[in-house]
Amino acid sequence: MAISFLAFLFLELAPGDYLDRMRLNPQISRETLELMREQYGLDRPFLERYWNWLGTVVDGTWGFSFAYGTAVAPLIWARAFNTLLLSVGASVVAWTAAVPMGALWATRKRALGPFMAIATSLCIGLPELILAMIALVAAQRSGWFPVGGMASIGASDLTYLGRARDLAWHLVLPVAVLALPAFALLTRHVRSAIEDVMGEPFVTRARSFGISGRRLVVHHMLRPAASPLISIAGLSVASLLSASFVVEVVMGWPGLGPFLLDAIQARDVHVVIGGVMCSAVLVVAGGLAADLAHYLNDPRIDAR
Amino acid sequence: MTRRNRKLTAVVSCLVMLHVVAALAGFFAPYSYREQNRDAPRAAPTRIRWVDRSGRFRARPFFYAPGDGAVVPVRLWVRGSSYEVLGLVPSNLHLFGVDEPHRIFVLGTDSLGRDLFSRLLYGGQLSLSAGLVAAALALGIALVMGAVAGYGGRWLDSVIMWVGDVFLSLPWIYMLLAARAFLPLDMDPAEAFLVIVLLLGFLGWAAPMRLVRGIVMSAKEREFVTAARSAGAGHLHLLTRHVLPQTYSMLATQAAVLVPAYMLAEVTLSFVGLGVGEPRPSWGNMLTDVPRASVLSAQPWVFAPAVLIVVVSWLYHSVLSSVHKREPGAADFGSAE
Amino acid sequence: MKGVLRLRGSRLVAFCAAPAFATLLVAPWAAALAAGEYRVAPRRGGRLVVSVRSEVKHFNPLTAIDQPTRTVQSLLHADLLRIDRTDLEIYPNVASEWDVSDDGRTYTITLREGVRFSDGHLLSVEDVLFSFRAYLDERVHSPQRDLLIVGGEPIRVEKLDERRVTFELARPYAAGERLFDSFHVLPEHILGDSFERGDVASAWGVLTEPKQLVGLGPFRVKEVVAGERIVVERNPYYFKLDASSNSLPYLDEVVFVSTPTEEAEVLRFRAGDVHIVERLSAENFDALAADDSPSRFQMLDLGPGLEYHFFFFNLSPATGETLGARQSWFKNAGFRRAVANAVDKQAIVDLVFGGRATPLATHVTTGNKHWLNRELGVEPYSVSAAKRGLRESGFRWDGEGRLVDESGARVEFSLLTNAGNRKRAMMASLIQADLDQVGIRVRIATLEFRAYVARIFDTRDHDAALMALVSGDTDPNPQLSVLMSDGGTHVWRLGQDAPHTSWEAEIDRLMQQQLVTLDGRRRKELYDRVQAIMLEYQPIIGLASPHILVGADNELKNFRPGILPPYTLWNADELFFSQASAP
Repeated sequence: MAISFLAFLFLELAPGDYLDRMRLNPQISRETLELMREQYGLDRPFLERYWNWLGTVVDGTWGFSFAYGTAVAPLIWARAFNTLLLSVGASVVAWTAAVPMGALWATRKRALGPFMAIATSLCIGLPELILAMIALVAAQRSGWFPVGGMASIGASDLTYLGRARDLAWHLVLPVAVLALPAFALLTRHVRSAIEDVMGEPFVTRARSFGISGRRLVVHHMLRPAASPLISIAGLSVASLLSASFVVEVVMGWPGLGPFLLDAIQARDVHVVIGGVMCSAVLVVAGGLAADLAHYLNDPRIDAR
Repeated sequence: MTRRNRKLTAVVSCLVMLHVVAALAGFFAPYSYREQNRDAPRAAPTRIRWVDRSGRFRARPFFYAPGDGAVVPVRLWVRGSSYEVLGLVPSNLHLFGVDEPHRIFVLGTDSLGRDLFSRLLYGGQLSLSAGLVAAALALGIALVMGAVAGYGGRWLDSVIMWVGDVFLSLPWIYMLLAARAFLPLDMDPAEAFLVIVLLLGFLGWAAPMRLVRGIVMSAKEREFVTAARSAGAGHLHLLTRHVLPQTYSMLATQAAVLVPAYMLAEVTLSFVGLGVGEPRPSWGNMLTDVPRASVLSAQPWVFAPAVLIVVVSWLYHSVLSSVHKREPGAADFGSAE
Repeated sequence: MKGVLRLRGSRLVAFCAAPAFATLLVAPWAAALAAGEYRVAPRRGGRLVVSVRSEVKHFNPLTAIDQPTRTVQSLLHADLLRIDRTDLEIYPNVASEWDVSDDGRTYTITLREGVRFSDGHLLSVEDVLFSFRAYLDERVHSPQRDLLIVGGEPIRVEKLDERRVTFELARPYAAGERLFDSFHVLPEHILGDSFERGDVASAWGVLTEPKQLVGLGPFRVKEVVAGERIVVERNPYYFKLDASSNSLPYLDEVVFVSTPTEEAEVLRFRAGDVHIVERLSAENFDALAADDSPSRFQMLDLGPGLEYHFFFFNLSPATGETLGARQSWFKNAGFRRAVANAVDKQAIVDLVFGGRATPLATHVTTGNKHWLNRELGVEPYSVSAAKRGLRESGFRWDGEGRLVDESGARVEFSLLTNAGNRKRAMMASLIQADLDQVGIRVRIATLEFRAYVARIFDTRDHDAALMALVSGDTDPNPQLSVLMSDGGTHVWRLGQDAPHTSWEAEIDRLMQQQLVTLDGRRRKELYDRVQAIMLEYQPIIGLASPHILVGADNELKNFRPGILPPYTLWNADELFFSQASAP
């Protein structure tokens, strides 16, 4: 609620509105633009427009998109699934790879240290924009993967199974591009969290009992090391979401990214607010889930 | 311990050297960052040789001029375009250069024929400091807020978490647009830079704040903290001596990630007109040229800024993880020991 | 390399040669079509894949604004008369003929017989009346509505008999028949109800059932996948036949896929996923042409389009004090001419557009072969001429070579451009370096697009701005709002009620006169004079006009792109693949 209000306020402060694109079109007169402004309600006071928007939230349409000429909610739902598929897929890949790699890095420092330091720096230093472009060029050159998009052109003629395989095939590259930087970042966090725990008395004691190797890491260290990792997990879905927007635009993935980018540039107010509310829900949900996980992991924390 | 010390010294001196080179870019760069060679756009890097075509070795490196194939020696300590050392002392001395009308492009040129090597060095001035200052600012705010939220608990926690959530989910791009609209059009580059750094730091605290809070929350319930509290230790003492040290390793990891991230974030700011404006270079705005297929495959040298960001990222990571390991209590028990 | 039209070697003469060359290219095709013979016999079937840069927003021709949306609609609907994109002349489409009264105020249009909508419904005069009623309705706020207001009054559309409609204009309007291009004829039996309810503006969204989307065009909608692709299939009721009386279109399906960036689009084109690319950058165009062996693509450089890049000084009534002082320079025509002399337009063409553009004198591009005043040339790039001009206008240089005005104030200004546009940033940098040569300091101010528009049109507190406008047609009339002193895009001096200078008054007079002159040659004379004034007073300093660069799969035949949008798909009904192996 407060977020939506502030988001509305920001949009109000930023110069320009939806009709500006038409002002550079010599064929549209000023009178017509004024008329349109009135029709879209853009000439009303700020609070009145906000109130009207709240009304549309109640009836489930989430406002009206000027560009599409329809209610916002169905437009967003149609794309949200594609984006979630991408960012959830990438989180799963990144976490499943990062936890064992981070643990290995922490325990086999001598062997892995320099390599991992360089590899993770590489993944962090290259922006997703460039990674995505490299992936596309590689796909086109090799012909091994589809060059962007989410389905082959003839996908609607395929069987159910064929379509699923087609989708999986298109998923590989964007998920990889998205997961790489996340993986690098998470690995570093996992490693530092585990290193912190290594110095603790209970680990030393466990080692003096002869517990070592994988058993030591899995049974005795992961749980106490989890605390910072849980917070990061809570954040990672939201941050992957924003990263996935970039990847979607470059790789032509039909998710929220290109849709919202268009809306942001066009000042299609209600669409932008819809997108903001989506990400806000994810951020808040991530925070709550992290709090819950903190409590489950360490019941001493008071759970409010 | 000495081995690690040696490594740390090496890495730190690398980092310092990088900053010094960037700060004295005028001297190390053969040309000014704004000098356009309109007859040589997108030129490939000059191929510097020691051995000439007849197989003879020459003490002074040289290259064959692109047009007539003349032998052009690379000279040290040459007089060239004038610049100001650290913005104070005017000078026109350059580390290396070639005789007019020949030109040397160590890393080729951009689409306006500007020397990429010179631009890379000048670009480091802004990018290196912006990354560092912005990361310090963001983590500083995050540490304070996170500690207050995690340690204070109850309503303080709720309020700060709520503000953090708002920060994380708001469409900042619009606030930036609004901010730009209020700034004067002919803004001084230095002022513009300050604005960028402040914005980056200010907008980035919410995520690390959550991490700090998470650690503080679990740290304050641990045995030695409870013990210290029952022994009558004050809140400030507890926080600074027992609770916050637990967050340092996470902060170090974050810092090593955030510094390069902020160097790249400037690209996004350029998108709304808040980046470093033409003709001044930064690693961020130099990279906007890269994500294009034709450039990617035909001109790999435009990756230079990305390579430097990776190197800086690796250096920071090495420094911070070495420093962190030297913290008392964090005993190392790697398999090799 | 086959099929590539290269202008590289002829850069110096490109100014004159480019358009002529483009004509040569299309002429054989046009001739072949007229004779009803193709080099390859047209083959039925096949699926054409086209990429669009942004999503198609809806299927409503009444409210369409952006190009992808309009392009898709041009395949689903048909207009009464349309401009052939290759020769830029107007031809009957859904109409079988048209007639203009002697006073130029009444147009009578006769419909073809037996034309059916894509649902089999017979077209009647009522549908035409309904369409124009909808376009003109204020509640619909169609962006095309203003085109139908002539002399301050809406065009009156009336039924003459079962096949004929008259369009009555309040005053003569030269070349009025060109207005009919892109006004689509809509089905009253589908949209009539929602028009009565007043919500026709939001009818036909992306979620509408494809069966409801009915039109007269060669294709009809088959499938819509939000944000991903739109599939249109052959309309079995399409009215056009080819020269051997086969029904059109030849293609079975056209698929539009969203590919937000040009880079991804080009990669998909290379991979063979997409068959047509348009609006290419010179870099990608050259790279595609160079890598094209064995020949897989037909790459065409159509020469300059109707887009003109320029910068202008803000002469609008000033709001700030600094701007007020600076405007005393800007208002000096000698200063503007000197600045135009100091800018190296050829460098902009070469560096920014990779040589695939043409330097520009005024707002009329060399692509506009018919209307261009060929007597006028581009101001030569000359630092000495610029310096002479500045000295004659009362400026001088201080000890360090900086330009100062009579009061000794340093000449400097900010140049506004919009962010996220690499080409424009490059132009700004070049202008900055060029003006530095004559001692003028330019600061580049980059704003996000909306903020940039707001600065120019609302607050008007900027010194100078870079801009590009594109004319909707070759005819002078669409330029009225730029040229007339009370026009909405009269960017250099906005919001004036009466012309402020004598030359602006003269332009107003000439433009008014050409509007009511029906003799084509006389109109041309009047418009030539307008161009001469624009060149002399330099209210806009023309920079360059980029070429329209397109490419298509080699198997795609009848590919005859033009310089008016939709560049490549305007003759979608005639496109076909030459080989059965085509996708």
